[in-house]
Amino acid sequence: MGFLSNITVRSPWLYRINAGSCNGCDVELATTAFIPRFDVERLGCKYCGSPRHADIVFITGPLTLRVRDQVLRVWNEIPEPKITIAVGICPVSAGVFRGGHSIEGPVDRYIPVDVNVPGCPPRPQAIMEGVLLAKELWLKRLEELEAREKEVAHAALS
Amino acid sequence: MQEINAYPQLAGWAVFHLLLFPGGLFALCAGLVFKGLDRKLEARLQRRVGPPVLQPFLDLIKLSGKEAMIPETAQRALFRIAPVLGFAGMAVCAALLPVPGVYSGLPMMGDMLVYFYLLPLPAVALILAGSSSSSPFGALGFSREMTIMFAYEIPLLMVILAVALQVGGGSGAEFSLGSIVAYQLEHGQFGLNWTLIPAFLAYLLFLPGTMGVPPFDIPEAETEIIEGPLLEYSGASLAFFQMTSALKTIVVLGFGVALFFPGTVPGGPVPNALWFLGKCFLLMFFSLTLVKSATGRFRVEQAFAFYLKYPTALAALSLVLVWANLYLL
Repeated sequence: MGFLSNITVRSPWLYRINAGSCNGCDVELATTAFIPRFDVERLGCKYCGSPRHADIVFITGPLTLRVRDQVLRVWNEIPEPKITIAVGICPVSAGVFRGGHSIEGPVDRYIPVDVNVPGCPPRPQAIMEGVLLAKELWLKRLEELEAREKEVAHAALS
Repeated sequence: MQEINAYPQLAGWAVFHLLLFPGGLFALCAGLVFKGLDRKLEARLQRRVGPPVLQPFLDLIKLSGKEAMIPETAQRALFRIAPVLGFAGMAVCAALLPVPGVYSGLPMMGDMLVYFYLLPLPAVALILAGSSSSSPFGALGFSREMTIMFAYEIPLLMVILAVALQVGGGSGAEFSLGSIVAYQLEHGQFGLNWTLIPAFLAYLLFLPGTMGVPPFDIPEAETEIIEGPLLEYSGASLAFFQMTSALKTIVVLGFGVALFFPGTVPGGPVPNALWFLGKCFLLMFFSLTLVKSATGRFRVEQAFAFYLKYPTALAALSLVLVWANLYLL
């Protein structure tokens, strides 16, 4: 079944969550997608509008108090297995906003972050490298899932 | 007696046409490859590298393995049936699709009228999906889909009438796709007939509307109403919508080829099937890919006004020309 997992990770659909970002990282994400030089579509990626269609989710921003519940709600709408990428220094460590009265970040206090792409804002090349790392992690997770299913099936047989 | 004997044979062939050629497997694979070529060409036109051509197949495999979620407040039965409904409609359409020189459609009268009723089924499925998903974006999307659907169906009906009148040849109208193709193979293709060129142009303008590509992707606008009716779908149900769209690509392009350019090449079924696909591809490149990569998005009332003005005028002109040519000259 490794064959199907290998195919699956060649179709990662991307979704963006803005957790109180200044929009700098979001501009970089758009650049990564739409400028010919950094075309992410060559990896089979597609930005989708709905969290239900997503496989890889980008989180930007330091997770402000105001958007915390909404971000968690949208993140829970994304079907499993999903990979979370923190884009920019804000979601990684809350950056200069750390400890501010309205800041709930860093994001991994609430959400398990799989890949960190630090920078203010990160370069498009770094974001694309983040996507590649996320694909590897996704493959690993799919294989783990399969192994677990096999174990369950074996247990049921014996 | 003969009819009774012929029936099981016909049923066997109908199953073959529905599942393998030209419907089912053939149309689905061709449609998915066309979708991939469309994405690749669009990327190349924008000087990007673009995804691999087989990307739609990879997407389908990925989606079939994902978790399928149903919103708590949705109408569960309708929500599940809607994607299958559109797919079924398109599967029947694909089975009726004449491939000139290979297959002339099932022997039945008026299959063009069946087409006219079945072609909107994916749009109806989207409307049902949007209304059953209980999401405000779904509701917005389905109201937009309904509006634009009413606008683009009118030129389609006129195009169909013009072609049927021409084939009827002064003694009524002929609604069988098989006879329309046979008539053109004998009397010349309609795409080169001066009375029907406006109808062909109207059909070209109808294509982006019915396929929901820019500038008419208003119901599924992913940046403003986050994919509208498709918002709540995930996993296998979403895969069904993608397959419906792939089948519909082949169906509407093949329908256009059968109506206007059903010319054949010598050499049997295989070159003719390839020739048919080649013509479908050219039609897609000029009416969908080029338009899509060069335009933004209309507002819904702009699209409505556009369809009621230009394609309708062209189709009406063609209808009048055909009528005048047959009955007055």
